[in-house]
This record gives sequence, C-alpha cells and structure tokens, in this order.
Amino acid sequence: MSAVWRASRAAVRRRRVQTFVIGLVVLMSTMTVVIGLTLLEASSAPFDRAFAQQRGPHAIAVYDASAVTGAQLAAAKTGVAASAGPFGTATLEWTAGGEPRRADGPMTIVGRADPNGPVDRLNLWRGRWASAPGEIVLASQDHSGDGFPVVDSITLSGVAYRVVGWAYSLSGTADGWVTPAQMETLRPTSVQMLYRFAGDVSTRAAVQARLDAVTAGLPANALSAAEPYLVAKEQIAADIGVFLPFLATFGVLALIVAVVIVGNVVSGAVVSGLRQIGILKSLGFTPRQVVTVYLVMVSVPAVVGAVLGTVAGSLGAQPLLEEGFEGLGLEAGIRVSLWTWGVGLLGVPALVALAAFVPAVRAHRLSAAEAISAGSAPRRGRGTRAQRWLAGLRLPRSVSLGLGVPLSRPGRTAFTVVAVLLGVTTVTFASGLADSLERIATVQEKASGQVLVIPSDGKSRIAGPRDVPPTGEPAKTTRTDAEVEQLLRGLPDAARVSAVRGTTVPAVGQTEPVRVLYFRGDFASMGYRDELTAGRWMSGPDETVVPSELMKERRLAVGDTITLELGGRRAALTIVGEVMDGPSGQPGIFADWSVFTSLEPDRVVAPHEMEYQVQLKPTGNVAAYADAVRAADPGLDALDMSERRSDFQYIVVGFSSTLSLLLAAVAALGVFNTVVLNVRERRRDLGMLKSIGMTPRQVVAMVLTSMAAVGVVGGLLGIPVGVLAHGYIMPAAADAAQVSIPQSVMDVWQAPMLLALAFAGVVIAMLGALLPARGAARLRIAEVLHNE
Amino acid sequence: MTATQGYIPRPTSRNRVRPYGAVMTTDTDVVHLTDVRKEYGDTTALNGVTLSVRAGEAVAVMGPSGCGKSTMLNMIAGLDRPTSGTVRVGGEDLGRLNETKLALFRRHRIGMIFQFFNLLDDLPALDNVALAAQLTGTKAGPARRRATELLDELGIADRRNAFPATLSGGERQRVAVARALMNRPALLLADEPTGALDSSAGEQVMDLLLDLHQIGQTLLIVTHDERLATRCASRVIELADGRITRERTLERTSVSGAGA
Repeated sequence: MSAVWRASRAAVRRRRVQTFVIGLVVLMSTMTVVIGLTLLEASSAPFDRAFAQQRGPHAIAVYDASAVTGAQLAAAKTGVAASAGPFGTATLEWTAGGEPRRADGPMTIVGRADPNGPVDRLNLWRGRWASAPGEIVLASQDHSGDGFPVVDSITLSGVAYRVVGWAYSLSGTADGWVTPAQMETLRPTSVQMLYRFAGDVSTRAAVQARLDAVTAGLPANALSAAEPYLVAKEQIAADIGVFLPFLATFGVLALIVAVVIVGNVVSGAVVSGLRQIGILKSLGFTPRQVVTVYLVMVSVPAVVGAVLGTVAGSLGAQPLLEEGFEGLGLEAGIRVSLWTWGVGLLGVPALVALAAFVPAVRAHRLSAAEAISAGSAPRRGRGTRAQRWLAGLRLPRSVSLGLGVPLSRPGRTAFTVVAVLLGVTTVTFASGLADSLERIATVQEKASGQVLVIPSDGKSRIAGPRDVPPTGEPAKTTRTDAEVEQLLRGLPDAARVSAVRGTTVPAVGQTEPVRVLYFRGDFASMGYRDELTAGRWMSGPDETVVPSELMKERRLAVGDTITLELGGRRAALTIVGEVMDGPSGQPGIFADWSVFTSLEPDRVVAPHEMEYQVQLKPTGNVAAYADAVRAADPGLDALDMSERRSDFQYIVVGFSSTLSLLLAAVAALGVFNTVVLNVRERRRDLGMLKSIGMTPRQVVAMVLTSMAAVGVVGGLLGIPVGVLAHGYIMPAAADAAQVSIPQSVMDVWQAPMLLALAFAGVVIAMLGALLPARGAARLRIAEVLHNE
Repeated sequence: MTATQGYIPRPTSRNRVRPYGAVMTTDTDVVHLTDVRKEYGDTTALNGVTLSVRAGEAVAVMGPSGCGKSTMLNMIAGLDRPTSGTVRVGGEDLGRLNETKLALFRRHRIGMIFQFFNLLDDLPALDNVALAAQLTGTKAGPARRRATELLDELGIADRRNAFPATLSGGERQRVAVARALMNRPALLLADEPTGALDSSAGEQVMDLLLDLHQIGQTLLIVTHDERLATRCASRVIELADGRITRERTLERTSVSGAGA
C-alpha cells in the first residue's frame, strides 16, 4: 500500500465527523442538483422529450379509403423516416357511458393491432389492449392517482363496447382504439397514416412540404385531412407553460445552493487541515503527494455521497415530475435523464475536487513550517475594531464573543451567509407562492359559490371534479329553470344564488363566435368583483367584463365594444373591466340575463342548460345544503365546491414545499459544517475559555450566537430576494397561463408573514449550529489544551 | 519597585459572595488530594497521590515528562476528574460538582497560566484580560479599568491595545498572568509558565510569580525548570510514574492570610 493511500485512509478515519459532514453535504447537494437539473430539463422541452419517447408522428394524415389502397400508402415513403398505418378510421357518435360529462359529439375510433410500433407508441396506462371484437381502449390522460372513475362500457353509434384499457397519445391520434378486425365491421371510410419525417420539421411549412413529397405519387384528392405535430405542441406548451417559471426558479436555486455549500464545505476541510499538511511535508511527503492525500481525503466521502445522492435525487425527482405533469399526459416522456445521472455521478465529484484543489494548491506552496504553524501560531486579529466594539457592548460576554466569531473567517462567513440567504429566499418564495395560490383559490371559491347545482338531462349523472358519479338511475328534474332557482333560494342557509347559461354567440367584427355567460340573480355581489384585474364592475346591461384569457386571445381592451348578433338582433356591450378567469370552464364574457332575453326572446331554457351557483350564509353547512338539494329534487346534482383546490395548486405547493425543505436542510448543513470547522479551529480558544470559567451553557450560547448573526444577515438579505422572485415569477406564470391576476393575490407580504420569515434564517442557522454547539460545550478542556 | 507593587488580592464584596465552598484561610488546606488515581485506558497517570497545599504556599511540582504533573494540575483545576480518590479545593469536593458548577468554580477560585499562553488572537491584550471578569457578568467598563490596572502593575500597560500576534512571548505570558489574576483567584495554577519563553522572558515571569507569592498568592506550579521551582516555590514535590517520590521544603516566607 502506498504511503499516500495509507495517509489518506488515516486522514479519513481520523476525521470521522468531517468525513461524515462532507459525505452528507455532497449527498444532499447531489440530490438537490439532480432534482434541480431534472426540473430544469423538464421545464425546457417537455413536449419534445415526451414526443421523442412516444415517437410521435410529425404528421397525422387521413386518406379517403375509396381513393387510395393500402399498398399505395405503404409504398409512398419519400422523405419518411418511419410510418405507421394504414389504420382504418371511423367516426362514431357517443351515446352513453364513458367519461362523465364527456362533450357530446363524434369520436374518432381507429383500428390498431397494438399500442406500440415505429410511430405513436401509446401510453397504455391502465388495463390492456383490445384483442377481441366488442372491446375498446379509450383515450385519456392518466388520472389513475386521483380517483378518476373508469367506466366498464361505452355505447357508440348504438353499439356497446367493453372498455378494456385506457391509453394516451400525446399527438391525439384517436379518441379510442379497437382491433383491426372490429374496425372492418365498422366499414371505415378513411384510413390514418402516421409519419415521422427525416430532415427539418420545425415549421408548419416544413411539415407540409414533407407531406407534399409523400403524397406526390398518390391519387389526387386521396388526402382528406392532415395535422402537423406543431398543433399538439402549441396546445401542450400553453397548458404546461404555467409550470415553467416555478420549475425553473427552483431548479436554479437548487443548483446555486448545492455549488455554494459543496465549495464551502470542501475548501474549509482542506484549510482546516493545514497543520496536518505541514506534518506530512515534514515527514518527507512531496507537495504533490500532499495535495493527493487531501484530494483523496475529501473525494472518498464525496464519491459515496454523490452516488447515494444521485440515486436519492432520481427517486425523489420522479414523483415530483409525475405529479407535476400528471394530467398533461407527459408522464411517459419525463424521466431523470442519463446526463443528469452523469452530472450527479461525475460532475459533483469533479466540483468537490475543484473546490479542494484550490486550497490544496495553496497548501502545496506553503513550507512545512508555515503549514504547521498555521494551526498553532498566533494569527493577526481580524475584524479588530468590531471585536473591540463588541467587547464594550452591554451584552453577556458569551454573546458578544459569539457575534465576533464570524469576523475571524470572513470568507467562510460569506459562504455561510449566502447559503442561508438562498435557503431563506427559497422559503420566502415558496411561502409567497403558496399564499398567492391560496388567495386565487379563495377568490375563485367566493366568486362562484360553495355549491354548484347542475340539473341532470335524464341521460347521465353529473360528477364534480375528482368525484365518482352518483349511483342510481338518472333522474330528470320536472322543474323549470325559474323553479329550480326558486327552490335553491328557499332552502335553508342559502345567501346568494346565481343562474348561469353559457353559449357561443357570433360577434360583429370577430372571426370566431364569442362565448357568453349570461348571469341572473346575485352574481354581482358574489365575489367576481374581487377577480377584477383592470377597470370596474358592470353597472348596466350594456356593459361587460371579460376574462383576461379572452382579452388576450381576442386582443381586446377595456373601453372596447363587443356587438353580439343573433337572429338579426344585436346587443352592444362595452368592456368596462377585466377579470382573472370567471367561472370554471371555457372563458366567456359576462353578460346580464337581459342581454340573453333581448337576443333570444322566444327561447325557453331547459334547466339542464343552466348551472346554479349558491353561496351560503357564513354559518351554513355546505354538505347539509347539498343533501337538501338532492333530497328536494333527485334530478339536481349538487356539488360541494368549497375547499376544492386545483391540481395546479396542489402540484405547485407540493413541489415548492418539498424543494424548500430540501434547500433549507442543505443550507442548515452548510451552517453545520461552518460551525464544525469553527469549533475545530477554535478548540484551543474554547478550552481556554472553559478553563477561565465559561460554563457549558455559555459555550452553547456563544456558538449559537455566532450563527444567529449569520442567520439574521442571511435572512434579511434572503427575504427581499424571495419577495422579488415572487413578484417576478407569479406574473410570469400568469402570463404563461394567459391570465392576469388581481393585485390582491400579489399582496401577500403582511407584517406577520415577514416577521415569521425573518426568523427563517435564524431557524436554519440554529438548526445547523445546535449539534456542533453542544459538542463544543462538551469539549474536554484538559484534552484540548494538552493537545495544543 | 516590583511589577506587582500595589497589587494585593484583598477580599472584595465580589469575591466574598461565592456560590460554593468556604473562604480559604491559612488554617485551611487550599488543596487537598486524597489517594487520587487517574487512568487512561491501560495507562496510569496518577497512582494514589495524596497532597495538601495550604493558603499562601507556593508549591512546585516537578518530574520527567509523563510523570503525571499536568494530570494532577488538571484535577486540581477541575479540568479533569480522577478515576478514584477525592480532590478538594477550598473545601469543595470537585467530584461532586457538575460541569456548570466546575466552570463557576474555575471562574471564581482558580487562575490558570499555560505554557502557550492561550490568548484569543482576535482580541487586544486589554480585552483578553477583561474577558475573565466579563464572564462573571462584570460590565465592560469596570472590567477594562481593572484589566488596565493589572496590566499597569505587570508593566505592560503600554501594550494593552496590542494583539497577541504582535506581543513578545514574555509579554503574552504577562497578559495571561493578568487574565489569571483578574477575578482575584484563591489559587493560581501555572503549567510550565516559562516553558515557551526565552531565558530573559522566563526571568521576568519568574520575578512576577515570586512577587505574587510574596504578597500571599497561593501558587501551584508545574515545571521542568529547577530554577523556577527553587526561586518561586516554598515547597517542591517530585513525581515519578504517577506517585510522589520526594518532597522538599525550601526556605521562603509567605504572607499569611493574604491569599483569601
């Protein structure tokens, strides 16, 4: 065994605490890095990754089955890298069963023998693939984790099918799949081809050019329709875009914290070993051997920490990713990538080696005598003026001594402050984020009432989000629209009731019809005003307020006029305000019920075309009210909408809390390491102080005070950074979601919260310092002073 | 004029109010060790030592390296606990005191001087000395005033604002002595006080210890230096292999009652 390896092993064994600290810090930091990088990567190109994994088609082409043969389609492969099909395609009418409240209308059913293949590899997330006549696999995103009711059968165009599986196509190639044999019985009029092209497919024009090349040799008019993958990409980008600012912020914070902590811990370890370096040199170790010993000494725990951290980070990132992208259908495409593993396994140890290398080179240059004396000779006082000032303060001496400790190692202190700062920034940002999301949920809940009543149409029962549909035969209410409203108002505890009908109406000057929400009843006083992001609330039937998403989509502004036109009748509505989003569902402009009656005076509205929003008195019981509604009329489904939080809120609060805890723990570890190093370097001082009568409690107070000061500074700096991040990220996320948010949602920084956050830095510092402080109090004076 | 002229560690209201133990008088043994053993694993550092030190005495403990001198000093200072036997200082059985009470004991009753001074590098000489009083709760102003007086009496008042790194070895040891005297200790313990000094600085420290002894300060000095022992001590105890092998009384006069 070489002397270098022997010395390295001895150094590792002798410094068990330090070895453990390095290993733990590297483990936690690597875990943070892996999660951070995975989040960053996921946020950078989620669609592309999932699309590549599913080998999604660059173009979905639908051909007229009577105009082209399968052989012709199979032969047309100009510029095609891979293709799937031809698959028989039929359009069937949904009649019963299936996803609750599935939109009425035709469903595209495709005959496929299996979910895999060279193109469009489906994510079969539940059940199995259809293998016999009468079986069907339905398309849906993975709701397996949230109580999504999976139905057993579905009736399409009068034929019942047994649902044997659920699958998801990122590209939306079908609404359901049956066996090819089953498809034959449906006499398909179209066939579907899925193409992946070689070469540039970055624009719609490029995809169209590739498709033109493929179809050039086919009969004219064979191609009925085609859709480039960019349509699906844009849709998903809009859905997922709202997550990106949060993911990116936490990812960047995680990376910075990890780098700072690892650098601090490792360089500190080498600096604290200068005396040992001097001894090795005096024994005849060459400078290069000495550097090697120290690199090995820190690398052993670092490599172990990096391996464990990479594994833990990968395991930790996966649920975050699955949770973050659940419902968007990207689960299959989001995995911790190989290069992230590479960074964890190779990059972090390299960072450790680099952090150790710089002070080791310094040790390399020191003479043996200088290195030995570095640990014992008196050194020049640091922060002397401040130390003198502190000594004169009317504070317990243990406290003033503690306040002076950070001044003696300004570099290490700066690193520790940065670690605490980043920890506090994360906690501040996450707290503000959670509060803002809670405020959004509260505003929405207040606006649209705690109880949503939906009359059944007699064909299907209605289930709220995450609810299993009510059992029993569907009943149809015998009441009229007005009678339903009257019933709801008459039930105990009802405070306000709004009746809403949503429909699309052509608008003058608009290429597409506008969705209009006609309100009747108490809607003006229910809380939609709190959603105002610009302008004011409606004061007459000729005014409207518009959700921000619609404002952006239609390029509207407060002051503009929207003229609705139906059956030769017109209603001009002036936009007087912008609201965050209005009732759940597709956004629509708010209009008074009188606008509806002026446009369609003869229209009799059936109850199932309406929704009723009920706000209860403060003392009202939501469940009791909902039960009362169902008891009064079995044809009314009453949904408890109180305390419902969106998936988005759960997801963002979930991962922000997880990462905040992780980063705060890493920051506390940074403090822990600093205190361990400080205590080791000041063992002689501590021994002397105890010898002249410093009690164990005073020692703990001194050590804790030294880090409390760091915590206060880090906290005071971290809070404004976190507040700034919140002020920047929240609107960015709202922009990505195409909505505006009211100022009340941003005004989360109240004195009690700031006060609590001000303690966050101190808490992080105290948590990190407590253990080594108690160790310092237990130092055996005789041993310390004798060794020195 | 000697360096300690004007310094008489007389009882004050502060050091009369003690949380434990009796006030020492010449009729009382300041230190009383009874059959003290100390083992570190298989190694026996002290092997049944019995020793008394009376108030006002200056006792030098001598012996070869590893004979148990420093271990004995640590027991008396309450820095370490014996494996068996009792250590009483000022009538107090140190074995019955917990860590906090031991700290208070050291704070109020013991002054320690180390071979390597053990000054805080970040504090000037004045604050190093004042520190001992400040730990007892004395405010900075009075503590600094008394520290200045002590440094003045020890002849280094002009160096009070200097940091340890800029002081000579002798000056550092004087600062350490001043710190040890800050709380008017009943017993001053010195562990090789001249061991890290050149001969000239060593002479100065010897003079200082002699002066302290002559004004009644009880001293226990651990040293290899025969000159220091014979010059400053009234009694010399020689240790070998953890046992007292020889005891000599020297012709010297102490000042009765001044050490309390």
